[in-house]
Amino acid sequence: MNRTQKKNSELDPRQIDNILAAEEELIPSSGFLTSVMERVHEEARMPAPTPFPWKRAIPGILLATGVFGWGAFEFVQQAVPAAQALTFAAPHLSVAIERPLEQAGWIALALVISLASWLLSRRLAGQSGLL
Amino acid sequence: MTATTTSATEDLADVSRVLAGDVQAFEGIVRRWQGPLVNMAWRYCRDRGRAEEMAQEAFLRAWRGLAQWRQESSFSTWLFALAANVFRSELKRFPTVSVPMDAIAEPRAPAHQHSVLQKKSTNEAVRAAVLALPHRYREPVVLFYFHEMDVSAAARTMGLPEGTLKARLSRARALLRSRFPHLNQQSIAPAIAALNTGKEA
Repeated sequence: MNRTQKKNSELDPRQIDNILAAEEELIPSSGFLTSVMERVHEEARMPAPTPFPWKRAIPGILLATGVFGWGAFEFVQQAVPAAQALTFAAPHLSVAIERPLEQAGWIALALVISLASWLLSRRLAGQSGLL
Repeated sequence: MTATTTSATEDLADVSRVLAGDVQAFEGIVRRWQGPLVNMAWRYCRDRGRAEEMAQEAFLRAWRGLAQWRQESSFSTWLFALAANVFRSELKRFPTVSVPMDAIAEPRAPAHQHSVLQKKSTNEAVRAAVLALPHRYREPVVLFYFHEMDVSAAARTMGLPEGTLKARLSRARALLRSRFPHLNQQSIAPAIAALNTGKEA
């Protein structure tokens, strides 16, 4: 008797499979299909999302890039002699500092250009209703 | 022609009609797959209302992305994978209220308790424990049993290699076993026979 009871209480991890495999089937509610189709029809009636107006934007982007590029070129043209002049005016600025400063200037310029192009693209996207 | 083949043919025909502009043809797809998707969602959240909401969202995503089905896999594989993504992200946004695994009491077997009630109680505890599993182990378990213990189908739905899925499944089972060490042998379902015949292998 004791032996039988012991046998019945033996661990059987496979029962987990048994329990989880024998899941009751859930039947969707009667209005589910209608509800889904209503939403699908709603979506179908909505106008298709407007694609980004690349055709209109590309000339503007090219123009802006050109203007900023030219501006940057001019800035460097003007700034480098001015900076050199400043170097003479500021004798404390050693050569060891001058080079990192020049590099920092270039990085700052690149950042300004990136910011400007980001703002421009944001503006263009905003006008087309994407933002 | 088998039911699966019929379904696949009907799916293909309906998808073609929808892509050609016939919105109503999507109803056929919903009609065929509403049961599986609601049941799959139910296994993710154990809340009937929410399961239907999540299944509806999955159908809407399927509707929007129908053109992305490249027919490299069957429609059902694509739909289940899409639904799993939807359910996963929905549950990340609003997690189910689940108790910690340790807080789920393991049902004991008092002599006076009716066996049917005992079985029901055990089943509910095991299912609650599945929901309390860490996320990376819960989903493989949910999908493995949803796909009637077909590892490759579950792996396809999750977009994981079979080996990874098997490893996670094994870890999940170990966690469940450690939580319920006293489960005793009752009727052995065909599920176990399927496991033994190497369906999982």
